[in-house]
Amino acid sequence: MPDAVLPNQGTSKPIPQTNKPFSPEDETALREALKRCSPSAFESAVQFRKTGNAEHVPAVVIGIIERFVEPDLRIKLKDADDDLRLIEDLGIDSLTMMEIVILVEDVLQMTINNDELRNLRTVGDVKTFIDCKIRGLALPKPTKFIPIEHIGAVMPVQPPFLFLNEASVSSTAANGKYRITGQEFFLQGHFKDNPVMPASIMLEALGQLAVLYLLEGAPTEAGKVVSPQSIFFTGCEGVRAHRICKPGDILSLSIKPKRMKMPLATFEGAIRVGQEKAVIAEEITLTFLMVDAANAPVSINGSFEHAGNLSVSSAAPATRVPPLRVAMNATS
Amino acid sequence: MPRVFITGLGLVTSIGNDAATVTRSLRELRHGFEVFPPFQKPEIPVKVIGTIKDFATNSPDQEDWVFPAGYTIKRELLRTMAPNGLFAQCAMLQAVADAKLAEPDISNRHTGLYAASAGSPYLLHYHNDRLNKVGVMRCSPLGIVASIAGTLNFNLIAAFKIQGSSCGFSSACASSAHALGFALDDLKLGRQKRMFVVGAEDGNLDAILPFAGMRTLSLQTDPNLASRPFDAARDGFVGTGGGVALVLETEEEVVRRGVTPYAEVLGWGQASDGWNVAISHPEGSGSAAAMTLALRASGVSPEQVDYVNAHATSTLIGDISEARALRSVFQDSALRPAVSSTKALTGHGLSLAGVMESAFCALAIREGFMPGNAHLTKLDPECAGINILRTTENTPPKIVIKNSSGFGGANVALVFKRVA
Repeated sequence: MPDAVLPNQGTSKPIPQTNKPFSPEDETALREALKRCSPSAFESAVQFRKTGNAEHVPAVVIGIIERFVEPDLRIKLKDADDDLRLIEDLGIDSLTMMEIVILVEDVLQMTINNDELRNLRTVGDVKTFIDCKIRGLALPKPTKFIPIEHIGAVMPVQPPFLFLNEASVSSTAANGKYRITGQEFFLQGHFKDNPVMPASIMLEALGQLAVLYLLEGAPTEAGKVVSPQSIFFTGCEGVRAHRICKPGDILSLSIKPKRMKMPLATFEGAIRVGQEKAVIAEEITLTFLMVDAANAPVSINGSFEHAGNLSVSSAAPATRVPPLRVAMNATS
Repeated sequence: MPRVFITGLGLVTSIGNDAATVTRSLRELRHGFEVFPPFQKPEIPVKVIGTIKDFATNSPDQEDWVFPAGYTIKRELLRTMAPNGLFAQCAMLQAVADAKLAEPDISNRHTGLYAASAGSPYLLHYHNDRLNKVGVMRCSPLGIVASIAGTLNFNLIAAFKIQGSSCGFSSACASSAHALGFALDDLKLGRQKRMFVVGAEDGNLDAILPFAGMRTLSLQTDPNLASRPFDAARDGFVGTGGGVALVLETEEEVVRRGVTPYAEVLGWGQASDGWNVAISHPEGSGSAAAMTLALRASGVSPEQVDYVNAHATSTLIGDISEARALRSVFQDSALRPAVSSTKALTGHGLSLAGVMESAFCALAIREGFMPGNAHLTKLDPECAGINILRTTENTPPKIVIKNSSGFGGANVALVFKRVA
């Protein structure tokens, strides 16, 4: 891979916004630029250029990404899942990413710097990024991939009651994975000779992912952080289990914040196993508090300054666990 | 030192896009010239080139290109190619099939690739133009690897996952002959077991027309009269492009894989004129020295040579220099070798010429003929004293020399031998 591709050398100036109307010549140039994209991408681009309405941007961006994806992989884009990864799922290398960026810049009349590109890992990242650029909003924090060690270090909940093996967190969503090993202590009794992951625990896992989002992804005021000790479950709505999950299944968890205003944060959540829906939660609401960053308890090796107070678990006495499951235990 | 053989070849040339067609064109002296549409303007006095048929690469967007249906090339590969890269890719695919190479034979530490092209003036011009028009950060991220000298080796190494030696050669019209010579050395020295040698040129307006300033291009408007090496009425060379790939292998590999080689590559020699940046030495001193060194390296005496595929491009000065060089090397030979320039049929392939004409030699050796020097009506008296073949002879040559010369006075001679 040439080393000229990624270094931080984005030096081009933003293109000044002009009020020049969208001319027939512009449309011809746009048609030429998008000649290998779908007609709908072209139409959306025309609409955006005429009106400046950012609602048209996702269709343009998806249309441009699709044009650079090998034909046999394009089917993946049809579902337009924002979690689709550019490199791993779509085979887009850094050079193709540059091709995409240059065409997006040309078509949407914007400038993207190299250092802004590095954090774009999913289709959702790209859409959000370009949307923010066009609306003139601050760019979201990049998606962070959080390995198990780090999850253990920041989370108030700890093994054997931690149901996240890995997670990625952005400012707009969090995704995680948990593999049911069959060694979970509660599977001995749930059920007799028939280990089935309790739906309450699956909801707990979604709650844990929401906690991780609050700690790692949620936008906060300057100088403030979310206090790990302050996060508790308050309620949930529209919870449905669709699939029995057993040892060996890999749960793909995702949550998205719907509303967030201290002290309440409401999320929607879903668990899939492969392509199959397992659990849907229309709303999960947590309470939380922000504290001054300087006064926040330092989290090292998952140990916090004081233990939780609502835990019914005795498995990890020195550590905090989120209170989510307190209300959940009865639902399975 | 191990013996080295040519075991496969692939051709995209003005006289055919496969070995069978090229062989017939060489035997029957069918040329590949056409009036070239981009030259049909009053301000362009040059009219004819050796065209590549069944390909259309006259767009800077690779996805617009047309190539024969038998080839499958993914966008991922195509997007970094110049036209010469496409020609070479197709030639490589032919050569791989011709040599019956499986993927593990191609991608390993013992198999390398040497290539020669002048890059793509066409795409270089296009991308630099865009850089000025649309801004530094909006020019194509792939423009560089698709256009600069070296684009051919970059692309082929990646496309065929070459893991052995790789390099590009840049000695103008001697480039691919140099590539073949150094590939032979790598095999003789035991550094590699198999080498691909590839030459390719765009052969379009941007690649050919700059030679007009030097007054080296033929101004003939009749494709049948345009390229006339050694003829008194010659008036310059006719440009062409295309791509040719050769597979060279050591004897051990030939035996292990049980393939039948076209010919043995005996040896090579090179020498420089030390004279002028663009004009060949009037006595052909560098060319003569290259031939003498090549014969010595091959353990062959001048009188053993049956056929010389000349460099002769149909330029006024160059053809005379080479004729003098041939006279000085073979002066005492009782039977002088037959000489012809197949550029009378193909035109001058520039960086591609050496390996293209080496492939012609391989075909001639295997098929048992010596191609004639087409379009020769009245021999230039300055070129007298050499045995120029006017028509194709159906005599199998045993020892063949291939000459190539390039700017700066670089001269290469390669020696091939019929496999008994």
